[in-house]
Amino acid sequence: MIRTLNVMLVCASVAALVAVYAIKYSVEETANEKVAIERQIDRQEGELSLLKADWAYLNQPSHVAPIVARHAAALGLVPISPQQFGSLEGLPMRPIIQKDETGLDELFSSLEAGVDPAEQSVEVR
Amino acid sequence: MALANEAAAPIALVGTRKSRGNLTKARIRWVIAILAIVFAVVMGRLIQLGSVVTDSTIEGRERDVITATRPAILDRNGLELAVDIRVPSMFAEPRRIIDVDEATEAILTVLPTLNRDWLRKRLTGEKGFVWIKREMTPAQRDRIFALGIPGLDFVTESKRFYPSGKEASHIMGAVNIDNQGIAGIEKHMDNEDVALLQSLGLARGNELAPVDLSIDLRVQHIMYEQLLDSMTRYQAVASAAAMVDIRTGEIISMVSLPDFDPNNPSSAFEPVNGKKDQRFNRITSGIFELGSTFKTITIAGALDSGLVKMTDTFDARFGIRFGRFTIDDFHGKHRVLSLPEVYKYSSNIGTIRIMQQWGKDNFRDFLTKLGMDKRMPFELPEMRDPVVPTKWPEIVAATASFGHGLSVSPLHQLMAYAAFVNDGCLLPPTLYKRSEAQSKPLCTTIISPKTSAQIRYLMRLNALEGSGTRMNKAAAGYRAGGKTGTAEKVVNGAYSSGLNLNVFTSAFPLDNPRYALIVLVDEPKRENEQSGVTAGWNAGEVTGRIIARAAPLLGVGPDFSEMVDASIVPVELR
Repeated sequence: MIRTLNVMLVCASVAALVAVYAIKYSVEETANEKVAIERQIDRQEGELSLLKADWAYLNQPSHVAPIVARHAAALGLVPISPQQFGSLEGLPMRPIIQKDETGLDELFSSLEAGVDPAEQSVEVR
Repeated sequence: MALANEAAAPIALVGTRKSRGNLTKARIRWVIAILAIVFAVVMGRLIQLGSVVTDSTIEGRERDVITATRPAILDRNGLELAVDIRVPSMFAEPRRIIDVDEATEAILTVLPTLNRDWLRKRLTGEKGFVWIKREMTPAQRDRIFALGIPGLDFVTESKRFYPSGKEASHIMGAVNIDNQGIAGIEKHMDNEDVALLQSLGLARGNELAPVDLSIDLRVQHIMYEQLLDSMTRYQAVASAAAMVDIRTGEIISMVSLPDFDPNNPSSAFEPVNGKKDQRFNRITSGIFELGSTFKTITIAGALDSGLVKMTDTFDARFGIRFGRFTIDDFHGKHRVLSLPEVYKYSSNIGTIRIMQQWGKDNFRDFLTKLGMDKRMPFELPEMRDPVVPTKWPEIVAATASFGHGLSVSPLHQLMAYAAFVNDGCLLPPTLYKRSEAQSKPLCTTIISPKTSAQIRYLMRLNALEGSGTRMNKAAAGYRAGGKTGTAEKVVNGAYSSGLNLNVFTSAFPLDNPRYALIVLVDEPKRENEQSGVTAGWNAGEVTGRIIARAAPLLGVGPDFSEMVDASIVPVELR
């Protein structure tokens, strides 16, 4: 009775020992992983800060302006003059166009007949 | 024996048990004693470990303070003006370095700028921490690692980087190597709350929310470019400009030349053409006699008092005598002038007559009302007190009416002009974003909307017919107007007729004003033989060019119809 109990307890303690060690090592491993990830995050944040600074620098008017000046001759770039600005009121009304009724009717009937306009245009070429 | 045995046996039994008992007790005592000693040792060690204070400082500074970050600074459209970058800084542990000479030579292959003797001395000894080189590039760090020298390591520090370089230098200010603000808005932010966060160790990582400024980087760039151009075009010794949103008091751009590179703060102390201390912010920490631009202030106050009317005329036929001084006009007409003519021809005599009709004490009170007795409330720490005389005899009032004998910062004048065109609401300027609703309670009414309309007319009139025509030509269509000021500079205690400080203060579009602008050009020369040296030729033209480039970006479109200018004319003059 007591012997079997002792054997069971010994077994249980051995099992507990193994489990504790297993947990201990797995925790250590996880902690190492965590540190590695933290270092990676730190490194990447550092890289990100540099990239952001780079991006900010490249977007500055002080950086873009010389590029514009360099290519002004080739691309015909000049500052916009006040006369070139317009407003919606300055636009003339759209002229009234006479609709080509017969042409439209022809198109609709041909569509109904199953002619694909896209194919036709290919044939024309 | 039997008896003895009988008697002895129990005795012997008792003795054995006793002696055994004694032995057991002794053993127990020994065990307890040994255990007590063991526990005492363990306890002592624990206390010893607990009382050890580990030194986490780096050369006397907390590691958190060194690696502390600052919030990014953005312009009003979200473009970065200042960002933090993480850079490695190299330190050495001299006690772990085996061969100092070898390590010195190896480090010098990567960092040849270091001094060999300084480095060797630095690496010798038993210290646990010495900086070798702060704020290096990641590439340099990798090369140091590749050398494989024991006792060298890196800390990641935050370094402030200003992508716009010199363009916004006076606004941004600078930070020291420990990332603490030492000038400009950076210092202001520290005084507010960043320093507190840093000292608590909270300002780590990128958690700090970015700070939005009122600056428009595009306008800032245009202004910077035009001022640089003015420095070469007019061979000026200095120039400065600032633009403000008159509805909110937000500073849109502010440039002062000569300037410095905020990425290299020590450049702020470099001499300019052999002269020291020339790189200060002329808009806030410079005070000047701003000359004729002050006439707008005199006339605005006089008109608002009701004692002077738009239709009044003033005798400008003769100079005015004060004791042995006679004040005369620069562009003298020597006839009776109407008020708009006084403004248009920038008549000193006419302005004095206006001031006299208004009353010199009323004039002095008006200056106080405009806040010209004290510093402008502003975020930048670089400010200077204006010099406005408190003794106010007739002659001082007379010269002050056309901007001589009193010195204020250009910012003072800019905000006064902003108030004159925005229906009379004097606002404190700011570098942070502010909405119109937020600016309402900060407003001090200085003139009535009616006077404001009259001033708008006068400013536009000066651009159409007066000294601002060159400006108006450059900024055609943007309905800009303003006042020139050509102030003779004081050299060795006397006004010199050769050296001028030229000012142009303006606002646009005057039919519905949005922005006010001040431009200073210090000691300009003629651009060519045909051009003049007065403010209209230099400060005025610069203003025109800035407005022509900046107005479309600010949502102000050109309008060439003559109806617009006609609508500005006050009723009594139609």
